[in-house]
Amino acid sequence: MPGVLTGIADPALRAAFREVLLRVADDELVIGHRHSEWTGFGPDIESDVAMSSIAQEELGHARVFYEQIADDEGLDVDRLAFGRTPAEYRHAALLEQENDGWEYTIVRLVLYEAFETARLHLLAASGQQPVAGLAQTLTREERYHMLFAETWLTRLARGAADGPGRVQRALEAAWPDALGLFEATPADALLVAQGVTASTPSAQRAAWEETVRPTLEGCGLRLPPSTARDGGRRGVHTPSFDRLLDQMTEVWRSDPEARW
Amino acid sequence: MTPGGGAHDGSPRGTGDVTRPQTPAGAGSTGTPARHDAGGLWEHPLGAAKDVWAVFVQGRRRDTHVYAGDVHAPDAEMALVLAKENYTRRDPCVSLWVVRADQIHATAQDAAEMFVPATDKSYRFGGSYRQQRRVLQSSYQAAYREEDQ
Repeated sequence: MPGVLTGIADPALRAAFREVLLRVADDELVIGHRHSEWTGFGPDIESDVAMSSIAQEELGHARVFYEQIADDEGLDVDRLAFGRTPAEYRHAALLEQENDGWEYTIVRLVLYEAFETARLHLLAASGQQPVAGLAQTLTREERYHMLFAETWLTRLARGAADGPGRVQRALEAAWPDALGLFEATPADALLVAQGVTASTPSAQRAAWEETVRPTLEGCGLRLPPSTARDGGRRGVHTPSFDRLLDQMTEVWRSDPEARW
Repeated sequence: MTPGGGAHDGSPRGTGDVTRPQTPAGAGSTGTPARHDAGGLWEHPLGAAKDVWAVFVQGRRRDTHVYAGDVHAPDAEMALVLAKENYTRRDPCVSLWVVRADQIHATAQDAAEMFVPATDKSYRFGGSYRQQRRVLQSSYQAAYREEDQ
């Protein structure tokens, strides 16, 4: 089956859509790796298993989107996922930050899943097949991720003792990076102008805020000031990502040609 | 072994071994005490901890919900959220039940002989029905796997 990129005749538009696919895949790969770091360290065995499962699913989603690029360009999926320099990754900084406690992971999950669900809906409406159909299918798994995240968030934030304070601090740490999910590049303007993406990053951000606000405020949290920390979508990353990439690709780099 | 799979195969906690003799003293919080009959201890609360929930998995819409194992959770919603990933990862599921394990009563070991027939009851064992069910289930599982691939 011809891939989605082959089907886009205009080279500029094709490059813009490729950038979006790469963002989705990189976001999912990096958050999937962070989630996987909880395996064996979760707060209880049940949540450990659930978070590990979510990690697997995010990596599975990453693979789906990497394949869209790799199939069209004759690339190896693993090489595309693991064989780039840090500056060639397009994920937002939110996803590369270290797991600074379970509460940070849960807050990040709430913020990211709301974004990811909306983004999959936009892709599903993009008219670009087979990506649109795949995006529609993947939303099924995001529903559980969101449920898991919100169930944990409300219990932590409404808990006794130091729970609410710790969740509020985690939210303040994550918020500027979360706004960085909506960092715009020229690719966004082109995709909106050509009708592939139905709304601009700033409109997406406003809609996202309206989605997460009731969840957060509903459990007593206060939304932090709205200053975004951008860079990720242009390949500017923090030292956390260098360490993550180093560890994540260690086995692959030991023999990039190996068949697994 | 827990039918639902998941990471804690083999070690359900709290309600896993319902035939184990239990000390009725202090068991459970249902307010219903253990009861003795002429043969000795006959039934008692299972005596699970407050945060243990028994999980029941329904494989297909017309199946019964089958006990799969336990989760620890502070409330029913969290128990369902955790049960979903811990007991439905490897087999099909259309519905989950969770129930506080401390609400479960069990027959005691002393009462086990009640279940053993004293005369020939083979006329009502219904083995052929069980055989039919096994055939149905195995063909369903085969179909499910094919579809999955």
